[in-house]
Amino acid sequence: MNQIDQIRPKIKALEAMPTVPTIVHPLTSMLQQPAEQVRLEKVVELVSYDSTIAAQCLRMANSPLFGRHHTETVRSAILALGLKRIEAILMGCCLNRIVPPDKWVLDAVTFWRHALGCALVSCKMAKLIGYPDPEKAYLAGLLHDLGILVNTIACPEEYRRCLQSAREGYVALDRCEAEHLGFTHSESGKILAEHWKFSADLVAVVEFHHAPGSAPVAAPLVSLVHLSDLLCRLRDLGYGYYEAMGVDLAGEDAWAALVEHYPALASMDLARLTMDIDGTMEEIITTVDAVFKPAQSATV
Amino acid sequence: METGTAKAITKPQAEDLKDPAYLKIRDLIYQVSGIYQSEEKLYLLASRCARRMSTVKANTPAEYLEHLTARGNREVELRLLLNEITIGETYMFRSPPQMEALRNVILPQILQAKSAMGFKRLHLWSAGCSTGEEPYTLAMFLLEESAKQLAGWTFDILATDLNDNSLAAAKAGIYGEYALRSTTEALRGRYFKPHDEKRLQATDQLKSLIRFDRVNLSDDSKMTFLKGMDLIFCCNVLIYFDLGSKRKVMQHFYSNLLPGGYLFLGHAESLYQVDDRFHLVHFPGTIGYWKPPVGYVAGGKR
Repeated sequence: MNQIDQIRPKIKALEAMPTVPTIVHPLTSMLQQPAEQVRLEKVVELVSYDSTIAAQCLRMANSPLFGRHHTETVRSAILALGLKRIEAILMGCCLNRIVPPDKWVLDAVTFWRHALGCALVSCKMAKLIGYPDPEKAYLAGLLHDLGILVNTIACPEEYRRCLQSAREGYVALDRCEAEHLGFTHSESGKILAEHWKFSADLVAVVEFHHAPGSAPVAAPLVSLVHLSDLLCRLRDLGYGYYEAMGVDLAGEDAWAALVEHYPALASMDLARLTMDIDGTMEEIITTVDAVFKPAQSATV
Repeated sequence: METGTAKAITKPQAEDLKDPAYLKIRDLIYQVSGIYQSEEKLYLLASRCARRMSTVKANTPAEYLEHLTARGNREVELRLLLNEITIGETYMFRSPPQMEALRNVILPQILQAKSAMGFKRLHLWSAGCSTGEEPYTLAMFLLEESAKQLAGWTFDILATDLNDNSLAAAKAGIYGEYALRSTTEALRGRYFKPHDEKRLQATDQLKSLIRFDRVNLSDDSKMTFLKGMDLIFCCNVLIYFDLGSKRKVMQHFYSNLLPGGYLFLGHAESLYQVDDRFHLVHFPGTIGYWKPPVGYVAGGKR
């Protein structure tokens, strides 16, 4: 039995953990429906199921990152940001809950800065190149590192050592995971994503965001998230440590694959996009601190 | 542009920033100079505009935009605004991410490639070195690495500028607290000696690594002969060039660099639509422009 098979039962047992919000299942099935088929009342009901999560959602929805709205109710947040964005925000808040505040390996704030950064960059790039579903790009960016949460819960001690080794060697986390754990967060994330019945394209993003060329479905979405993930890690929205890398993004296979579907990418002003990411950094940090800092999320 | 000087400026009120004229000024500056300000950093641009607005007595951003676009002296005004925008960027170790990228990614890559060919010498060029802060930073960096990854290597820095006064100041190597604000005590102790009560002077060891020269980047005959560079630094110089001149300088830089070499610009400068031969390469917190080696096949090079 290889190492990934050893943790497989632990991942499936996650469901029984008290930390997993009960709304995860209805939420994942709702995420797969087109916005026009989702009843607003149903989303309001899910968000309101847990007062802590509801408060987090509203705080997130009120971030200037999403425009200059000020919403005091779930209903008005949905009207301002759209159903799909609120669903994604709700999913993020639920996922945050599965790791108890004192059990994080990559700390919650670092994890969510990266996830939110990747969501925003994926969404922005999607709009710039004409990808038809920017909200799906947002959700995929937000959830791509699901496996990091899985590893945190399934093998916390080994994962702590793995992160320490990555930090000391300035190397990519997935490389250290393969060496130390025998599997990466892409593989472990895929198991949970399938178990929770994520849509096939989201499962592909979770499994192949470090190897987009191998994705059997949703290749453009996987490539988009791969590039956004790299960009975030290169602009101080990574895993909280220095990764010694130089990346010719336009030379990445994922770039070429995406250009085939979306030729507008070839003329995208990458330097400008990079500086725009830097511009939003402060707000990403403020938002994540306000929503996901463990001490605060426990006292809403 | 996010320098200490910027911090001293009063942040304009959020309401003022809603004036669409600021976005137009931002876009104009980007189009003309390649310097970009994200929307979140518009307050910095507004601060710099505010200084020029009071000098030219423009009451609103829209009125000032007219000074930049429709008045007879618009080119002069644009240059003065660019001066304001880049002011305060001249101090040593201004970009720690750039130093980290050099230390952890770029040098190892270049040293490996050159070693394989039997070379043990590095050539750096600070093009538009102004009063010398950049070449002295590079010299300190190289000397610090000489006991580590650069052991057994020799290196030199060419520092050029068009302005004779700047070059004279650079050669003298005398700096006050502002220029040395990010230089650690340890480095000051190793590479500087007291000059007067408030200033330090670069040691002869530091100076000996740098050759200062007057070079006009538009002078084709001179540019053609500057070959064999591993790294070129050209910070906030091209912003003053028109598109045609910029493209010519970039062609020169491309042939001045060895294959595998890098060009670095100012941190808010972009080469978008100026040059498509250089590859834009991201390092943590900084970007560089890369001349790929012959036979480079795309596919990432982490």
